[in-house]
Amino acid sequence: MSLKSLTRDWEPMSYGFLDASAKRELRRKMLKAVAVPGCQMPYASREVPMARGWGTGGLQVSLTLINPNTCVKVIDQGADDSVNAASIRSFLARVSGAPTTLDTLEADLIQSRHRIPEEVLREDQVLVLQVPNPEPLRSVQPNMSIARQMHADADYGRMWLQLYEQIVRSGRIMQGASYPSMVNGRHVMTPSPIPRWDVPKLNMAKHLTILSAGREKRIFAVPPYTRVEPLVFDDVPYKVEEHANLTCYRSGVRGFFMNEIPQDDGSSTHEISDSEYGVKAIRSTEGDDIALGKTWYENGEMSS
Amino acid sequence: MAYVATRGGERAIEQSERLFRAEMGTITPERICEIKASMPYLVDRVMGEASLYDEDIAALALAQTGGELYEAVLVLRAWRTTQPRLSVAEPIEQETLFTHRRLSAAFKDIPGGQLLGPTLDYSHRLLATQVLTGEAFEPVPVEPAAKAAPAHQPSVSAWQAANDLVDLPDADTTLSEDIPDITREPLLFPSKRAHTLQSLARAETGGVLALGYAAMRGYGQSHPTVNELRLAEAEIVVTHPKGTKFSAGRVKVSQAEVLSKKGEKLELGFAATLGWNEVKVIAAATLDLNSAGAPKGSATEEEFFLYHTEGVESSGFCIHFKLPHYVTFQSSLDAMRDAKARSKQQKEPAQ
Repeated sequence: MSLKSLTRDWEPMSYGFLDASAKRELRRKMLKAVAVPGCQMPYASREVPMARGWGTGGLQVSLTLINPNTCVKVIDQGADDSVNAASIRSFLARVSGAPTTLDTLEADLIQSRHRIPEEVLREDQVLVLQVPNPEPLRSVQPNMSIARQMHADADYGRMWLQLYEQIVRSGRIMQGASYPSMVNGRHVMTPSPIPRWDVPKLNMAKHLTILSAGREKRIFAVPPYTRVEPLVFDDVPYKVEEHANLTCYRSGVRGFFMNEIPQDDGSSTHEISDSEYGVKAIRSTEGDDIALGKTWYENGEMSS
Repeated sequence: MAYVATRGGERAIEQSERLFRAEMGTITPERICEIKASMPYLVDRVMGEASLYDEDIAALALAQTGGELYEAVLVLRAWRTTQPRLSVAEPIEQETLFTHRRLSAAFKDIPGGQLLGPTLDYSHRLLATQVLTGEAFEPVPVEPAAKAAPAHQPSVSAWQAANDLVDLPDADTTLSEDIPDITREPLLFPSKRAHTLQSLARAETGGVLALGYAAMRGYGQSHPTVNELRLAEAEIVVTHPKGTKFSAGRVKVSQAEVLSKKGEKLELGFAATLGWNEVKVIAAATLDLNSAGAPKGSATEEEFFLYHTEGVESSGFCIHFKLPHYVTFQSSLDAMRDAKARSKQQKEPAQ
């Protein structure tokens, strides 16, 4: 046996781009995040060959979890073919050799910006959400060190007050996406800017969700079977976007989160935001042998 | 041009990158040498913000990005972070710096002397337009002084400390391997001194200047006096696995020390960076000087200026707004339309 047979040849880049110490840091902080659901864990977020704010946090998690057998799906705004999703997917495949897919049912690892797919995720799947701003208290407290203390004290009074003020001023809670949600009855988190439509999908979900903000260097998680409850008042129920009765003009599916497409005549038409679900629905109608998974929403209603 | 075309995204991004690179043409080793030779201050600025000292690699990054500085720094940082850290160099004392330029605004003359060195400070900023009409610009040769200035200079603040005008901070005895490293740990507040200085060293020059200038104009508590500004070369002394200490070469460094004159003693603000970049270190030292006791949320508070002068983070976030945001937008529109419908309902007179 020679020394050469025990060592590997020099390579310009580690497997999966990140070096071993960066991956170890990510793994440790992911474990901490899983151990304290919804609590933001600071981590040494490394630079990656993509600009900050473009999914570098999600990318570091994916690069750490990936192996040559991981089937990866990447979406942005629900679409697999959005330009940045295409860029991240090709980078992941390039540095890891992992196979990629567009089909939610085939994926082991799903990295997403702003959406959770419409088909129910399983226990063996991991969802990685890209997070621009990890701090739900940012709008009431921009200073991160003070906000951190407020989380430690579970001091969410100002958050509640802000929601209450919106009801007083506008007659309803005006929070669009990134609706503040209580995780495991202890930490308020921002579920990343997913629409309100998607937040109930996290509650007691079978899959693990890891939320990672690369620029802000914070990681947090929703482990499987964990309570995620949007902050609501007893007498003002949580309202998802009114998309239950919209129909996708391309695929004909109904009762899912839609993209609004303005038309020349001043009206709007709609297409399903989960692009691959739409494609599968079309192919299925055309007679292809396509598996459509069970969806979180049925007939526009969240099924429990 | 499709933005979110069905199945068109991959081709679109590839072609748009080609379009960008076509403009720059072939990148040759000669081009790298030319950038290095003709634009040392640009190379220095990029090396400082990338916190990676290698002129060839910095020049390559500039060539590859067409001089888009934020992109050049990002490409260097992303490369740097994957490299193994072989050794931590010995600490560098001011007195050991091979000094090219060093001046103090606090005294007419200082021990060791004012040393102008290379600068455009007193040049008349006239364009050499003759170059455009075919006549080369030949710099007038330097006439060296009969006696060269000493390469090593004492520190001005050491004299002030000896005269009980300033309290120098206690020497930090942290072993080099244990120095907190901002590239390997998250920045938390109140920040470690090492993290503050490291963050300022790799901060974006324009950002540091904007906030430092705000402090100088009056949004800070202290007006800076430049106690000492140095452009120098530092010897990088590392330890061989056998135990021998040796020089791995010299790197260009800038450092600035600024003073406030409010109480019974002078107070010091300090900043240093890789490469020669005077504006950055003076502005950064001014921020450092003003940070003690600064109100939360003010431009001179550490958390405020360290977060907002991080060029890779700030530029990345700024350009990310180009990405599609139609899901979040749709979510807000939904709430807005509903609120509008409710208020309309309320305004209609009761039947």
